[in-house]
Amino acid sequence: MRAGLMARLAWHDYRADWRLSACAVLALVAVLAPLLVLFGLKSGLVGSLTDRLEQDPGVREIVPLGGGRYSAARIDELRRLPEVAFALPRTRQIAATADLYPNRPGPVVSVEMLPTGPGDPLLGALPQPQRLDEVLLSRSAAEKLGAGVGDELLAAFGRLDGGVAEYQRTRLRVVGVLPLAAFQRDALFGRLELLEAVEDYRDGRAVAAFDWPGMQGSGAAQRIYPGFRLYARDLDAVETLRQRFAAEGQEVATQAEAIAQVRSLSRNLGVVFWIIAGLGLAGAFAAMTASALAAVARKHRELSVLRLIGFPTAALLAFVSLQALYTGLISLLLGGLAYLAAETLLNQLFMQQAGEYACRLEWHQYLLAAAATLGFSLLAAAAGGWRAAGIEASEGLRDV
Amino acid sequence: MLRLRDVRKSRGSGSQRFSLWVPRLDLYPGQRLAVVGASGSGKSTLLDLLALVLSPDPGGELSLRSAQGEQDIAALWRAGRQDRLAELRSRELGYVLQTGGLLGFLDVRGNIGLSRELLGLGDDGSVRRLAEQLEIVDQLDKRPSALSVGQRQRVGIARALAHSPKLVLADEPTASLDPLNAARVMQLLVEQSQARGACLLLTTHDLQLARSVGLSLLGLQVRRDADGGVTATLEGAG
Repeated sequence: MRAGLMARLAWHDYRADWRLSACAVLALVAVLAPLLVLFGLKSGLVGSLTDRLEQDPGVREIVPLGGGRYSAARIDELRRLPEVAFALPRTRQIAATADLYPNRPGPVVSVEMLPTGPGDPLLGALPQPQRLDEVLLSRSAAEKLGAGVGDELLAAFGRLDGGVAEYQRTRLRVVGVLPLAAFQRDALFGRLELLEAVEDYRDGRAVAAFDWPGMQGSGAAQRIYPGFRLYARDLDAVETLRQRFAAEGQEVATQAEAIAQVRSLSRNLGVVFWIIAGLGLAGAFAAMTASALAAVARKHRELSVLRLIGFPTAALLAFVSLQALYTGLISLLLGGLAYLAAETLLNQLFMQQAGEYACRLEWHQYLLAAAATLGFSLLAAAAGGWRAAGIEASEGLRDV
Repeated sequence: MLRLRDVRKSRGSGSQRFSLWVPRLDLYPGQRLAVVGASGSGKSTLLDLLALVLSPDPGGELSLRSAQGEQDIAALWRAGRQDRLAELRSRELGYVLQTGGLLGFLDVRGNIGLSRELLGLGDDGSVRRLAEQLEIVDQLDKRPSALSVGQRQRVGIARALAHSPKLVLADEPTASLDPLNAARVMQLLVEQSQARGACLLLTTHDLQLARSVGLSLLGLQVRRDADGGVTATLEGAG
């Protein structure tokens, strides 16, 4: 009841004194709007860069350098690490190529072969090859071959046997085409068994599954892989894994540096933001304090009349605080609108990809800014409120 | 209702000292009193003491009898119970200031109704009735700045009476008005206070006007003391 009365009285006075109120609001908006834009730029820019890193599986790839010797069991061990999202052995590079024949007249396309399996981040939601003769193509390979999902292609694998070139052909079925962003070179993705079969054939061994001739008896049980395809679970895991491999003496190529750069950019922008915010807020705080004190001095007579009529100390404090709150609320509204306009403009200017923003504030960030603004407004009004609370009813009643 | 015994209030010291001494003063409902005296004779000090906005010097007795029982005002002052004093003011007192003391950001209706709103009293038509009786009903929606000085003073009187206080104090209510207006405003103030059974105590330097509306007169006798200070004594109190 009395709170409502005070809110109404404070509002009436706030409106009647609109010039002074407008000054206070504009002073606050002048600080608030640029800070919101800066905040939005920081979180938009860093957010976009981080999103880009997180959405690009290539960033999480860890590529072993130099030839290694890994057993299937060792790679299985790697896959089970909590930091690892996906790990699969690779066969020898030289054995992992195929010549693909287009179904239309055109040149043969030589592609590299990569093993794939469940959880391969490059494939995403694309179908997995279920059978030995099912493969996926990279976008560039598919375009060169004019092949799409469901097509069958003739593939040839060659070997030199005692100086004589031999080759085997088999038909492969395309079950998917990777997006260009996932893989840029000409490649086919097949089951590890397919790559192992081709490697066996190159090594001169027979492959029963394809009925390819060669030496009988295989060393498959002790197969040694020169490398692996490995993806970290998230950006943080990249650095952890890099250190782990380094400790084991295995040199790896990672994007850890790029990740660290984005991280440090985020941190440094954060520091820049807080320095500017600190300076701006300190200025706004001083201005608001001064304006609250000035308002109390101006309204001294009114406040002492309220005191005389019998309003309690808390009411006078509320009178001053509520007006600071009004300033805070109106400034937030105007500052928010100014920010939205700036955000729209900046995003139109800088938008590079759909779903990416140069400037963006989440709702919780805006709410945080709102709470901070109102808190600061009240704090700044405290000095004025303190002075108002000390006003005696007998003061200022007789200055004509 | 308000009872003063040997109440003093001093300001300054030495030859700059000014003291007000009220040996005895009792205020009852229906009383109509005028304190007359030259400017600087302590009229405002007396009024502030009665209005519970100025603390009396230690010693003496200052108490208020209300519906809630007897209140020792001097003790409340000593205990620093400002909000209790404010509450008593809001309920028991109406104060007419020399210049109206209106809030510029409220219209006339809001100004008159303020004391009622503070007490949580609904609008029972008394605001409008008062405005009619004080001949300012056409001004209800205007801001005080749009009114003449005389009209403002009537609004001030209406506000002081709107919550039906027991004690109405008025500080030179007609000092800033022309004689014709002054007589009318004084008459309205006395009439309306009386109609509500309130005790009216006002200060004025217009002895003739005070007599013409039937006010009992109290005088402040100023005398220089041995230490060079000045003491004003309230005389003729009933």
